[in-house]
Order: sequence, then C-alpha cells, then structure tokens
Amino acid sequence: MNLVKSELFKIRSTSTWWILGLVTFVLWALTLLINWAGSSINSSPESTEGLTAEQAEQVRVANEAVNVASNLYTSGQFFGVLMVMLLAAIVVTNEFFHQTATTTFLVTPRRQSVVLAKLIASTLLGLTFWLITTVLNLIFVPFILDALNVGSQLGEPAIWRALGLNALAYALWAILGVGAGVLIRSQIAATITLSTVYVIGYFGATTIFFILGPRLGDWFSKLQVLVPPLASQLMVSGTELPGNPPRWVGAVVLIGYAVVAGGLGTWLMKRRDIA
Amino acid sequence: MTAGSEEIVVSHLTKHYKQLRAVDDLSFTVHSGRVTGFLGPNGAGKTTTLRMLLGLVTPSGGTATFGGVRYNDLDQPIRHVGAVLEASSAHKGRTGLNHLRMICTAAGLPWQAADEALAKVGLTPAAKRKFKGYSLGMKQRLGIAAALLGNPRVLILDEPANGLDPEGIRWMRDLLKALAAEGRTVLVSSHLLGEMQQLADDVVIIAAGRLVRQGPVGEVLGSMAGMTQVRVRTPQVEALTAALSARNATVTPLPDGALLVTGLDAAAVGHTAFTSSVELHELAGERADLEQVFLQLTAGKAGIR
Ligand SMILES: Nc1ncnc2c1ncn2[C@@H]1O[C@H](COP(=O)(O)OP(=O)(O)OP(=O)(O)O)[C@@H](O)[C@H]1O
Ligand SMILES: [Mg+2]
Repeated sequence: MNLVKSELFKIRSTSTWWILGLVTFVLWALTLLINWAGSSINSSPESTEGLTAEQAEQVRVANEAVNVASNLYTSGQFFGVLMVMLLAAIVVTNEFFHQTATTTFLVTPRRQSVVLAKLIASTLLGLTFWLITTVLNLIFVPFILDALNVGSQLGEPAIWRALGLNALAYALWAILGVGAGVLIRSQIAATITLSTVYVIGYFGATTIFFILGPRLGDWFSKLQVLVPPLASQLMVSGTELPGNPPRWVGAVVLIGYAVVAGGLGTWLMKRRDIA
Repeated sequence: MTAGSEEIVVSHLTKHYKQLRAVDDLSFTVHSGRVTGFLGPNGAGKTTTLRMLLGLVTPSGGTATFGGVRYNDLDQPIRHVGAVLEASSAHKGRTGLNHLRMICTAAGLPWQAADEALAKVGLTPAAKRKFKGYSLGMKQRLGIAAALLGNPRVLILDEPANGLDPEGIRWMRDLLKALAAEGRTVLVSSHLLGEMQQLADDVVIIAAGRLVRQGPVGEVLGSMAGMTQVRVRTPQVEALTAALSARNATVTPLPDGALLVTGLDAAAVGHTAFTSSVELHELAGERADLEQVFLQLTAGKAGIR
C-alpha cells in the first residue's frame, strides 16, 4: 500500500528513529545487565519478612530457571515499548508540529486511510525494534544463563511463547502510541506526558498494589493487569505466576486499550478541521 | 477531462466558529484558462474558504466543487488540484527532495516527478538540503513544487507572494500566467493589490465573509466610475474649485499645486472649466486602480473580527 510506504519513508527520512533507536539500545544493554545482576536460580528469597505467603511463593516460582530465562530473553521490553510508543506518537504529532498535516490530507482526503497507514507503519516499526532486541537477547542471554550454571532454556516452549507475546506487546504499544498522538497533538506535551505516565504509572501502580494487595484481597491484586505496562510484563512471564491472572488476560487488556486508542484517534482525526 | 470542466463552483458556502460567521453564504465561480484573484481584508475569510474548498475544513453549510466533484470525492486529488496554503510546511529535518518524494509515494507518482518539480521552481541546487535551512522564498517555491507534482488542471494558492523578493514575485507571476494560458484554472489570494492588477484576469472580492464583487478586472474597475479621478492644474484655483463643487465633485489640492477631482470624469471637468471661463494648464483622467476600488468596496465592512 502506497500510504504505508509513504509513512515508512517519512520515518526513514528524518533522524528521530535512529536517535530513539540508539537510546533503546543503551537502555536495553543496561536492563540486561540489571536483570543479570538480579537473577538467581532457584534460590529461595533470603528474607521472607514482610512478604505474605503468596508473595513468597511468587518469588519462588519467578526464580525457576525457565522464568528467569524468559525474563532475560525479553530484556529491554520495559523501555523498548516506551520508545516504540513515543515514536508512534511522534509519527502523528509530527504532522501538526511541522504543519505537514495539510499536505498529507491534501494527498489523501480519506483520513481514516492515513490513520490506518500510520498504525500499520508504527506496528512494523515496533516489530523491527522487537526483532533487533530479540536477536540481541538470543545472542547474549545464553552466556548469562551459562554463567548462572543453567542451560540456554531455548528448548522450553514457554520461552518462545514469551518471545512471541513480547512481539505482540511491541505491536500493541505502537498502536497505543498512534492513538495517544492523536489525542495529544502537541509534540512536546505528548512526549512528556507519555513517558511520565508510563514510568510513574508503572512504579506507582506496582507500589500501590504491593501495599494494598494483601489487605484488599485477591480480586484487587488481579486488577494490576489493567495498568498497561503491568499488562505487557505479565504477557512475557514464562509460566503462570501464582496470584496473577493468566497471560492472555494481559494481551486482551492491551488489545482493548489499543482498539480504543486507535478507534478514538481515527474518529477524532476524521472530524477535526485541519488549519 | 474536457475543457471547462475544471471550473470551481462555490455555492452558499458557510462556516461558523462559535458566533463568528467566518464565511457567510458565499457563492462564486472560478473559470478555467484565467487567473482569478481572491481578495479581501485580513480576516475576511479567504483562508477559511480555500481550506473548505480543499476538504481540510468542514463547511457548516454549502458546497464547493471542481468540475462538479467535491475535493474529497476526487480520485487521486493531487492530479486534479494543486494547492499552496498558508501554514503548510515541511518537516524541518527532511530534505526538500525527500519532502516531495514522500508525497509522490503516497500519491503513487514516480519519484522522478519530484526531481522535475524541483527543477521547475529552480530549487534543484537545494534539493538535498534540509528544510530548516531554506529561506522564506525557497519554502514558497518548495510549496509550489509540491502543488505541481501531479500536473494538476487546477491551482489554488493562498498568499503565494509572501516572502518572495521582486524577482521571485515576477517569476511567480509569469509562472501562474503561463499555467492559466495552458487552460488551467488558477485561484490565488493576495493582499498585494498592485501585483494582483498585473496578474489577475478576474477578481473575487470578499469582506466579512461575504461576496462584495466578482468579475473581470476591467469590468470591476469600470463599474467604479464614481471613483474616477481627474488631475487638473489652473492659475484660477478658487474659481475652478467653486465651479466643480457646484457640480458635486470633490476637489483636493495636491502638494504640487495641482487639484485632484473625484466624482466627475475628465470631459466633465474640462466642460465645467470651459463654461466657467477658467484657464486650464493640465487635465488628466486617472483611472481608479484596483487598490482604490478595493478600499472603496470594503470600506466600512468589518475587517478583523
Ligand atoms: N479555527 C478557527 N477558530 C476560530 N476562528 C477562526 C478559525 N479560523 C479562522 N477563524 C476566524 O475566521 C475569520 C476568517 O479567517 P481567515 O483566516 O479565513 O481570514 P483571511 O481572509 O485568510 O485573513 P488574512 O488575510 O489575514 O489571511 C477570522 O476572523 C478568524 O479569526
Ligand atoms: Mg489568510
């Protein structure tokens, strides 16, 4: 499709993509090192103080080799999807920031086609980011696992499922980014808002659920999955973690957000005057 | 397409912003093979009208069509209509050539069209430079190149002379005249009335969102006979002033000692002098120019609202 080609060309012909790509690469390397440092196989938590029985059990299962491995193989997701979302948002906000929306819609008055092309192009971009980080992980993680005295775990279907769902997460965050870009048209506002909400939202939500979860009960803990960054992390856990909803719920939640963001974005873009 | 089918027909076009009627029941026709000047004071609604024509702004009422088809319903619109609008621009970090290539790709045109369009506007030397390094005139030229990409039969330009030097304005005038001579429809808004008088075949004048006058430039000027000015020089200033004032003409002394008479044509001024036995040293009819007509027609109509 010509429009998708044109959108990809728009991304390619400016420097934003490789700047964010470089940032992603650096953050990926850092995350991998941190994950490595934080990985311990089958060790029971040194102090179970302050943890409920269920939380202790979660830690134990998370420390199983396959889960440590899937965590390592999907290293870089946390910042990777953030960068993909920002790039996708910029794909939209650029049009207003640089006043190219007029040209774009003169060429293609069917605005839903333009939004669709942006969704597809951003998704492809997200998948490219996924592919590169995944290849890097497949190269480096076996060495780390070796250092931890376990095999590469690549025989485990759970790892490949985690990688596949990770790809889905990258694609869905790209769609979220496009929707967010339509909602917040100002380039600077969109970038700052999205990064802040993503990072603060993640740590804030984790803290809140960690403190309130045990008090309010299971049903409340399960609501964590509604927080988008937590949903995408859930998707890439190797096996099911006790006390967490199944992984597909994470996917459904993100798809839900992506559909709402994409749909709302298209609807708004169709109605607005371009001045 | 057959000749004449690229007429632009604007019919009862209306746009409200809150209580403001930016464009108010506006109807006019733009003919092919001619340059039509679209004139109006600041805030008259020119840009809003052009954006409604191009499907960028949704009208509150009325329609605008190209050969009977609305812009949004045109198949491959940039092959029919090329537009250069205010507040349209390019990505600062993208080269001029890539800006055009991006449009070509979206429209399914070969990339070669981008090189040709750049050559046509004389931007080839700057093709590989980023847009942020372009001067105002170069940006305008890039906009025109983008409009010409699809070799359209209709051209719409909003204040294209902005930022052009005299050389550039002359270039633009020649280009637009040549395009109209090829049978294309050219609609161009501008504030530069002197320039318009040289460029336009027809004018559409609006004020406060409404049509004031439409027609060939000569006709619009001619219809303003009351605007005719006559320059006279006489040793008997007081006698002539009294005689002309008796015939309801307005007489204004000029700094060089001559008199400027409005309200009568040259023959009537000459006759008045003759019957009053006033000696004349100079008598010259000065046809009202577009600027005077424009100011007269739009006087008293709200400008900035
Ligand atoms: N998006 C908008 N929201 C509210 N009012 C608007 C909007 N766009 C234009 N207007 C108003 O509509 C009127 C017409 O504006 P427009 O830009 O069409 O005028 P113009 O004839 O192009 O003026 P200029 O010669 O200064 O370019 C102005 O009063 C302007 O304030
Ligand atoms: Mg304007």
